[in-house]
Amino acid sequence: MKNRNILLVIVAMLVTGWASGQEYKVAKNSGRLEINLGKVRVEGHNGNEIIFTSESGKHDRDERAQGLRSVNSMGLEDNTGLGINVTDKGNVVEVNQLKKTSSPDIKILVPKGMIVSFTHQSQYGGKATFKDLTNEIEVSAQYNSIELDNVTGPLTVKTIYGHVEAVFDTNIKDPISIVSIYGFVDVTLPQATKANLRLETNYGEIFVAPEFKIDVETKNGMRPISSDEVVGKINGGGLNIDLTCNYGKVYLRKK
Amino acid sequence: MEKEKLEGMLIDYIDNRLNSVDRHQVEQELVRNPEAYKLYEELKEVMHLMDRSARLEPSIKLKNNFEALLAEELKSEKKTKTVFFQPTLFKVAAAVALLVICGSIGLYIKQQHQLIADRDRELKELQLQTQKMFAMMGNDQSASQRIQGVNVSLSFAKADDAIVDALVKTMNEDPNSNVRMAALEALSRFINEKKVRDEIVNSLPKQKDPIVQIQLIQLLVKIKEKGVVDELQKIVDDDETMHAVKDEAYSAIMKLS
Repeated sequence: MKNRNILLVIVAMLVTGWASGQEYKVAKNSGRLEINLGKVRVEGHNGNEIIFTSESGKHDRDERAQGLRSVNSMGLEDNTGLGINVTDKGNVVEVNQLKKTSSPDIKILVPKGMIVSFTHQSQYGGKATFKDLTNEIEVSAQYNSIELDNVTGPLTVKTIYGHVEAVFDTNIKDPISIVSIYGFVDVTLPQATKANLRLETNYGEIFVAPEFKIDVETKNGMRPISSDEVVGKINGGGLNIDLTCNYGKVYLRKK
Repeated sequence: MEKEKLEGMLIDYIDNRLNSVDRHQVEQELVRNPEAYKLYEELKEVMHLMDRSARLEPSIKLKNNFEALLAEELKSEKKTKTVFFQPTLFKVAAAVALLVICGSIGLYIKQQHQLIADRDRELKELQLQTQKMFAMMGNDQSASQRIQGVNVSLSFAKADDAIVDALVKTMNEDPNSNVRMAALEALSRFINEKKVRDEIVNSLPKQKDPIVQIQLIQLLVKIKEKGVVDELQKIVDDDETMHAVKDEAYSAIMKLS
């Protein structure tokens, strides 16, 4: 009897969970996923569909809008029920938000093999996080901070005002190119990573874990000593890893 | 008359082989010069003796000996028939020599071919690399592929026009900042070439991407390109320019002027 009660509770929780967490799926496992949202959580999964879920609480729901569709000046309409528009253009799946300022909390599960592209220019936004992805990731942002956890690359990240944190898994695929003008760039690599490093800052500083012995590239047989650029190999060289900050600091850590 | 010449003439005189002029001359010499006459006497004696000895018949014994020797010689000749085979040996030797010569000529030609093939292969490799580079740079789906394409050029010691043009196009037009930056970085390796320098200078007013603008301005300061000061002033005066870019442009104006 007691067991049955627990089971009932679990079933009830699952049902409510399913009901509140709306989902939108697109059956696609190749091509590009272009995300233009103020904030987002992207995670990798083993399925063959892109799965969008809203993580906003109930307070976001407008009872008065029941049965209506949200549209905006760009000619987009909310075709997902999540406050976002998802358009499948064959090779490209575009994701846009309807509201101009406040962004919905969207989580996206991405199948392996899709290129994940995140673009956001507006200053209204938040963090974009990417987790457990073996996919290629492209980020081009102005204000967003970018956090990447357990990713492999290839990776091209640009943000002007935000910072970038990246923790890499083993089996990194190059190129890795991360640039921030005002934010910091904080990268964690497995210690055995073989890489050609280029760490650059104009007005910031560069910090490197002592475990990484950088074999600094010589120029005309001389070792350049400069405060704003370190070019060299770790573990014999291999992958191209470029980390650039103009005003922020560069941190390179060991996993 | 010198002694040698005289001697020669006297011998000919004794053998009666002189023409009338020389004969007359020798006779006169003999009359006038007692020494010459003495020499003539001696020579005549010697030659007479020689004539006589020439007429000497070899003794029977000698003759037999000689014939025996000859027979033996002939026999031994038969025995060493290898002599008879010598031409074949020569043929073999010649054949071997021919083989060796042909072989070495062949080897030489092969080596030359190898060299040419190597050069061809290198050229093909370069072409392949360039093609690969262009193909990767043309991949509009993947920014990282385009960066990899740009990075292929890092292995080239020199860049031909096609490569420079492709890198310039990427630097100016690629939608992704990281790719543009990589292209600028790749081009800066060839900054000493006039074309590259010109293209980089020309790129400044075209760039709207702050990250590339900053890199570009820093590069122009590094190569002390004073011709861009006006353009930098425009960047400073432009309201649309990002603050960080303005700062960089302004500090560049200070450094360059």
